Amino acid sequence: MTSTAAVPTYQADIYTDEALLEPYEHYRALRDLGPAVWLEAHGAYAVTRYADARAVLANTEDFHSANGIALNEPANSAILGCTLASDGELHAHLRQVVAHRLTPRSLRPMRETVTERADELVAELVQRRSFDAVSDLARALPLSIVPDFIGWPTEGREHLLRWAGANFDSFGPLNERAQQALPQCGEMAGFGAEIVRTGNVLPGSLGASVLESRDKGDITTEQTMMLMLDYLAPSLDTTISAVGSAIWLFGQFPDQWDRIREDPSLIPNAVNEVVRYESPIRAFGRLAVNDTEVDGVPIPAGSRVLVVYAAANRDERKFTDPDVFDVTRADAVHQLGFGYGEHGCAGQALARMEAESLLAALARTVTRFELGRPERALNNLIRALGSLPVTVHTEG
Amino acid sequence: VQISVDYTRCEGHGLCEDQAPEVFSLDDAGDLHYRFEGQDVPPDHATAAGRGAASCPVAALKVVP
Repeated sequence: MTSTAAVPTYQADIYTDEALLEPYEHYRALRDLGPAVWLEAHGAYAVTRYADARAVLANTEDFHSANGIALNEPANSAILGCTLASDGELHAHLRQVVAHRLTPRSLRPMRETVTERADELVAELVQRRSFDAVSDLARALPLSIVPDFIGWPTEGREHLLRWAGANFDSFGPLNERAQQALPQCGEMAGFGAEIVRTGNVLPGSLGASVLESRDKGDITTEQTMMLMLDYLAPSLDTTISAVGSAIWLFGQFPDQWDRIREDPSLIPNAVNEVVRYESPIRAFGRLAVNDTEVDGVPIPAGSRVLVVYAAANRDERKFTDPDVFDVTRADAVHQLGFGYGEHGCAGQALARMEAESLLAALARTVTRFELGRPERALNNLIRALGSLPVTVHTEG
Repeated sequence: VQISVDYTRCEGHGLCEDQAPEVFSLDDAGDLHYRFEGQDVPPDHATAAGRGAASCPVAALKVVP
């Protein structure tokens, strides 16, 4: 695939350590270059403007997920057939097996558990005053909720974060990070296959219902293995990223924290704003299956298209003062951090519930977050902090 | 302007209701009720309806000009 003269090109590798640490100037440059920009280093068209990103996600006829999600062939082959990497009727069928367990209504019984755990966790950390907002807070809640919810056996849980991180690394270009990740993705797939073979999942869990669907003949054994991993891998790092970023942002912008404390009903919007401002998932790809176009830029059939959520969410064509963190932003709900359309994040209700519960618990007691020196965890797909020392101040 | 609702695609995320409770509501079963089904949205509700439709994360709501 070569670029045509009409198509703007961009030379820089946007997956180097430096670019992952400071991505936003790259994204601005890409947005300014055009609706679709040929990335020389990655052999893909980047779509970085909000309206175009949303349009590509909505156009599932021309832009497919199968063989399109990752920026490299081995990863695309490895995930082929999972919900994330399927299209049309197959996708709708697979999604239906699981998504109904993840709707806000189905999750209602979970709210009490999630709220209680968030309250307990925050109470303990507030008492300690100084803690790591990533390992002690952001990781602790999802890890105490999600594996049980999915029904993952207790043995093997120690690998979950490593596997999930590897999964996301593998979706990037075939750089060193992705190459190191691929064997670990294999480990995770092997573990998932073993669970399906032995039926070793917690009763009543999402995993158990996936196995029931297999037993009823709704899905094949191979699809069952895919579904076991489909919702586990993405449900940890993403939420962890958002919660870590939230504390980092509220530490830097204490006036925004005051707003939340004055009016906790802003918390759901604040979660949207965190996801807009520091999108946990940087980008997902698509495969153009027809000769098509993005806002006038021709895209030949067979092209890879990278939809950069994190760039779209900072698009000045869509959001006023996009680099300002504002929990009262009226259109924060339009953020594309959860994707959009057919493939829109099925687990977003649970993610929102976790993040909202933690912020609500913190807002009741914490007046200020005093930040230590943050460290980034570099991943091809996930933008997240690896460590964030924080000291919390409380009233009185 | 009309809003088309794809009820099979709706998963009950409820963001439309947060945005425009006077136009969209979820019942106790989690099913979506759209106030102006099959008719033009009255002008005084058009902004709210559009805001609700734009917030749908799974594209079950679409604005039909």
